[in-house]
Amino acid sequence: MKIELSLAHDFGTHLADGYEAADYRRGRIDPYVEICEGVVLDFTRVRTANSSFVNGLVAALVEQHGAAVLRKVVFKGCNPVLKVLVESAIDLGLQKIDERVDA
Amino acid sequence: MTIALPEQLRASGLLPSVSRLGDTSKDCEVVLDFAKLRRITPAGLVLLAATVVRWRQAHRNVTFRGLKHCAVTGYLQRMDLLKVCGCEWPEEFLRHESKGRFVPVRLVDHRVDEMGNEVAACLAPGGEDYEHPMAGLYDLASYVFTETANNSRQHSAGLAYVAAQATRAEGMVRLALADTGVGIRGSFALAGFPWSREGDDAHAILRALGARVSSKPNDPNEGVGLTLVSGLARITRAWLLIVSGTGVLRISDGRPPELSDLPNGGCYCGTLLAMTFRERDAHGFARLLHNAKVDAGLLRTPRVAINFEP
Repeated sequence: MKIELSLAHDFGTHLADGYEAADYRRGRIDPYVEICEGVVLDFTRVRTANSSFVNGLVAALVEQHGAAVLRKVVFKGCNPVLKVLVESAIDLGLQKIDERVDA
Repeated sequence: MTIALPEQLRASGLLPSVSRLGDTSKDCEVVLDFAKLRRITPAGLVLLAATVVRWRQAHRNVTFRGLKHCAVTGYLQRMDLLKVCGCEWPEEFLRHESKGRFVPVRLVDHRVDEMGNEVAACLAPGGEDYEHPMAGLYDLASYVFTETANNSRQHSAGLAYVAAQATRAEGMVRLALADTGVGIRGSFALAGFPWSREGDDAHAILRALGARVSSKPNDPNEGVGLTLVSGLARITRAWLLIVSGTGVLRISDGRPPELSDLPNGGCYCGTLLAMTFRERDAHGFARLLHNAKVDAGLLRTPRVAINFEP
C-alpha cells in the first residue's frame, strides 16, 4: 500500500502553521509509515510555505522514524524554495537524532 | 496626558516615540495630537494601532486631536489606522486599489497563511507565479510575514497588527508588525525559563534570534522563525528593528545585531518588528533562504538521499 497526500488539497496553496502541520503528521502520516510501502507528500500547486510548517511536517517525521524513513517518503512537486525547506527540515530531524544519541 | 506626535514617525527615528507612547502612567485620559505629523511609515502605523488598542483594552479614554491640521490625515485614513483605532473622520478622497503599493493596517487573525499571500501579493503583484520577476519579493514578504505573525499569535498572548508599503521609485519595501502581548522575554518567562527573570529584554531578543530557541517546549515549529528572518535581513542587507519591552535590536547593512535599550527609560509592552529591504535584493529567494539556513547551522551538507519528484 502506498499513500499519497496532496497538501494543496488538504491545506491550500500557502502553508504557514507548524501546529497544523504537526497535527496532520500525527494523524495522517505517523500511523502509516511503518505499514506502508511508501508515502508521497505531494506539494504540487503549493506556492509558499515557511519553516514552521515544513519543520512541523517533516523534521519530527525523521526524528521519530529515523533516516530510514526517507527511503519510503517522496516529496513531489516542490518548487525550489520548498526544496530548501524540506532539505533543512530533514537535516533538523537528523540533528535531533544525533543529539539524542549523544545524550 | 497629551502626547504630541513628532513630524516624522518612521522606523529609523521611532524609538523616542516608542518610549513616549509606552509611558505606563495610569492616566485614564490620553490625547494623541497629530497636528505636527508629516510623515509616517508602516512601523509608525502599527506602533500607533497596537498602542491605542492596548490603551482601549485597559479602559483608557483615547482622543485624537489635530487631524484637521495634520498633513497626512488622508494617508492615515487610507491606511485604515483611524478605522482600526475606532476614530471616525470624514474621508475626502476616493479609495484606489492598494495592490502593488501598500497593505493597510490589519489585525493579524488566524488566517496567517492566507494573509501571507495577501500581503505578498499586494507588495509584489504577479509574484504569485513562481517564474514572475516579482517572485523573489513575493516569497520574502510572505516568509517574513508568516514567521513573524506566527510568533505574535502563538507566543505573545496579545493582538498583532501588520502594515506594509512598497515605494517603487526608491525600490524599497517596508513591512512592520506590532503586538500588544507579553514581549519576547515575557513569553520566555511564561514558559518558565529561569534566565528570563534575571536577564534584560535586549538580550532576550538576541536569544530569540538563536537557532532552535522557542518559548514553547516541544514547539513543532522548532524555534527558527526569528532566526531566519534576521538571517535573511543580514543576507539581503536589509534594515531590521525589533523592540520588545525595554530592549532594542537592530541589524543594518549585513552587520551583526546591535543591542540597546529604549531611550528615556522607555518600555514597549509587546513586540514590534520593522524590516526595510530593497526590492532588487530579494531576487532568488530559494538561494537566499538556503544561505540563511546554512549560516544558522540549520542546513548542513546532505548526508542522505532525498526523493524529490517533479
